[in-house]
Amino acid sequence: MTEFIRFGLSGLVFYLLGLVALAFVARRARGGDTPADHFLASRGLGGFVLFLTLYATAYSGNSLLGYPGEAYRRGFSWIMATGFMLSIVVVFHALVPRLRPIAVRHRFVTPGDWVRHRFHGESGARVLLFGVSVLMTIALANFLFAQLKAMGELSAEVTGGVISYEMGIVLLAGMILFYETLGGMRAVAWTDAAQGILMMVGLAALAAWLLGESRGLAAMSEQILAARPEIGRVPDTVERTNWLSSIVLMGLASVVYPQAIQRIYAARDGNALKRSLAFMSFMPLATTLVVTLIGLAAIPRFVGLGEVAADRVMPLLLGQWASTGSAYAVAAVLVFLGALAAIMSTADSCLLSLGSSLAEDLFGRPRDAVSTTVFAKRAAGAVMIGMAAIAMVARDITLWGLIELKMELLIQCVPAFLLAIRWRGLRATPSWIGLVLGSAIAIAGTVAGVKRIEGVHVGIIGLACNLAVASLGSLTLGWPGVTARNGGESR
Amino acid sequence: MRRAGSTATPPGRVALKTGVSAPRLRRILLAFVGVLYALSIPWYRGGGETAGSWLGLPDWVAVALLCYTGAALLNAIAWLLTEIPDDERSERDSR
Repeated sequence: MTEFIRFGLSGLVFYLLGLVALAFVARRARGGDTPADHFLASRGLGGFVLFLTLYATAYSGNSLLGYPGEAYRRGFSWIMATGFMLSIVVVFHALVPRLRPIAVRHRFVTPGDWVRHRFHGESGARVLLFGVSVLMTIALANFLFAQLKAMGELSAEVTGGVISYEMGIVLLAGMILFYETLGGMRAVAWTDAAQGILMMVGLAALAAWLLGESRGLAAMSEQILAARPEIGRVPDTVERTNWLSSIVLMGLASVVYPQAIQRIYAARDGNALKRSLAFMSFMPLATTLVVTLIGLAAIPRFVGLGEVAADRVMPLLLGQWASTGSAYAVAAVLVFLGALAAIMSTADSCLLSLGSSLAEDLFGRPRDAVSTTVFAKRAAGAVMIGMAAIAMVARDITLWGLIELKMELLIQCVPAFLLAIRWRGLRATPSWIGLVLGSAIAIAGTVAGVKRIEGVHVGIIGLACNLAVASLGSLTLGWPGVTARNGGESR
Repeated sequence: MRRAGSTATPPGRVALKTGVSAPRLRRILLAFVGVLYALSIPWYRGGGETAGSWLGLPDWVAVALLCYTGAALLNAIAWLLTEIPDDERSERDSR
């Protein structure tokens, strides 16, 4: 057993014990078992914890394993990832300042609460809510699957197979279920905060080592270009169109992430929220750019990795780094724990959102009942077990492929949020017809193996059709009646 | 729990210093962010051209990186200028 594996196992044990302790503290701090307490920590997340939980949730196994893998495959053009991760915080400007006050006033818990409120009294509102909830559930389950796969890969790689891929999934999924069930959003946010710090420190250490080893950025670029000269050339039109399409896809779809929307609800106040989002603006530079450099640095070090194996460049680099000495082995373990933390924090947020959406939006459980929390925990547990089982048998899927599929479906919910919050005239029936059409286009493209047309994601093409149907249909139908428009409230 | 009196800071301070209202300044900053995004993609170069080196990176990569750094900074300032009311009296409910 190498030093890295020994330190890795010890670090893993300490890390997991730390999570257990945090979960118990969060359990003691809870204000009850209502959905608002369990899923939103009683809407009391302050700026610092909110920032770290947003950060740890946004940067996941996809970012830590998938993005270096994609940078390895595509080369320098993957700088686009820094842009599209930033676009999420930019597009939030269109949603957060308007959604937050409405959410506070009407005590929203799930993303579906917005749809229910906005289209209340309209024919077609229930179908729209169902459609949005189904897409969000699929996206969350997909996201959860990607995290479980990443957990298994990382545990197996770093422990040298002492913990197998399958065992890693079972162990870590069990741990998430434990602390999420015990402490709800409070436990998730607190563990996210610890995980976010670990991730930042770990990535900074690895980037510093890589740049030091390569004798600076310029020398590193030369080594990369010597191994694959073609990736330094200016991207062609299709690649540039794909760059733009990726920014639009990620920017719009990430804004309707259920777990991100729930964090908007869970903020203590508007100040905490805006400060957190201001800090979040810099995180693509501190994280996505760093993991892109890590993927690029792997090009001259690991020549000829296959399509799926490219997702392993991060663990491979960690192993190489650890072999250079005891101090480096400890630092590599820190990065390993940081990556694992990123993955687990995203998985726990998915699980929490999944439970609440399933209970309230799909199965119509009452918003304020304790029984809803119990139902949500059970439903989330069942989905977790199902996804873990699938992750064990479906290992040969690239992480970036999973992200694209998820985003292409999730982006079809954009009209029901971004357009609905800014345009009073948007109606429920054309919105759900547009949503179904857009989703059908995205799914048909995926099934037919056509992910992009001339660089444009099929999900974007689906969204364009979706938006056309929703807006033209709404204009044709005209404005809703007074009762429907006011949601049945006297204002 | 919401703290009493913890509503969003009125961004009027900025308006006093710059002579431009905070909402307008925010919109201007976001427009610049849009421009930086447009510039970040190397439309200005022919596809497949060999790139020179700048700041230790292929030049089009360095340009994209500088654009994203600028966009991050402007976007952060725009967020600090954003008013997110928790008070329903100042709510800008689109409905």
